[in-house]
Amino acid sequence: MKMEEVSMSSLDNSKLEALAQDILSDLVEDACLGLCFEVHRAVKQGYFFLDDTDQESMRDFEIVDQPGLDVFGQVYNQWKNKECVCPNCSRSIAASRFAPHLEKCLGMGRNSSRIANRRIVTGNNTNNKSESDQEDNDDVNDNDWSYGAEKKAKKRKSDKNPNSPRRSKSFKHKSSMMGPRRRIDNQESPRMLMKDEAFSQ
Amino acid sequence: MSKESRLRASVNQKLTEMGERERLKELLRAKLTECGWKDQMKANCKAVIKEKGLEHVTVEDLVVDITPKGRALVPDSVKKELLHRIRAFLAQHAT
Repeated sequence: MKMEEVSMSSLDNSKLEALAQDILSDLVEDACLGLCFEVHRAVKQGYFFLDDTDQESMRDFEIVDQPGLDVFGQVYNQWKNKECVCPNCSRSIAASRFAPHLEKCLGMGRNSSRIANRRIVTGNNTNNKSESDQEDNDDVNDNDWSYGAEKKAKKRKSDKNPNSPRRSKSFKHKSSMMGPRRRIDNQESPRMLMKDEAFSQ
Repeated sequence: MSKESRLRASVNQKLTEMGERERLKELLRAKLTECGWKDQMKANCKAVIKEKGLEHVTVEDLVVDITPKGRALVPDSVKKELLHRIRAFLAQHAT
């Protein structure tokens, strides 16, 4: 009995396999017919040959495979060695460095005001070296807010490029509202003093 | 109706009712496009069209040419995958 069952199941298996093959065959034929209908409709509606181009255009736009050129035939490191003239300082700058240079030069980038401030501070120190022997020196070493520091702070603000859009608000109101604005100066000057101390040593 | 043909009928019916047939169709179409079969067949169609003329080609012309070639050119990997799914379905629903 068992033997029969086994043979029965193997017969079933081969039948199932045949069934599976038939189902696959149906699906494949369905795919083929689908393609035929699709193509036939495209032919009759006139859009079957749309993606073909004529031989001449194909040759014009063929992929370029030469050294030193990209696939379109353009030279791709053309701008490495070019130099541009800065309209602001009239210096000749390398192309890849041009944009950052403009940022600093025109005072319009994110860090350009910080760098300008730092330069002004060092500029002040080198300028004031001859004066530092006098009483101003004592004032500079004070950690508290002092008149000398305010003078320097004032100088710093007026030294900024007046055409730069990054003029600070306190500069505008300085003449009208000295009182409440003092707190801002206070905050800034201790920092400036620390820097001066570092540089004057 | 023999037992076998009854089995076939019921399997086919289940395949359709459960949406498995549709899913298998989509799977097959996707696989055939992926492996380039469709582009190959389209090139064959172009040959038939050029032979019969754009204005006069019929569906029958295309079918007669494409079907035997299409069947033969289905890659084995695609066939295997489809069969695997069909067998799984049969194992679940044909016994």
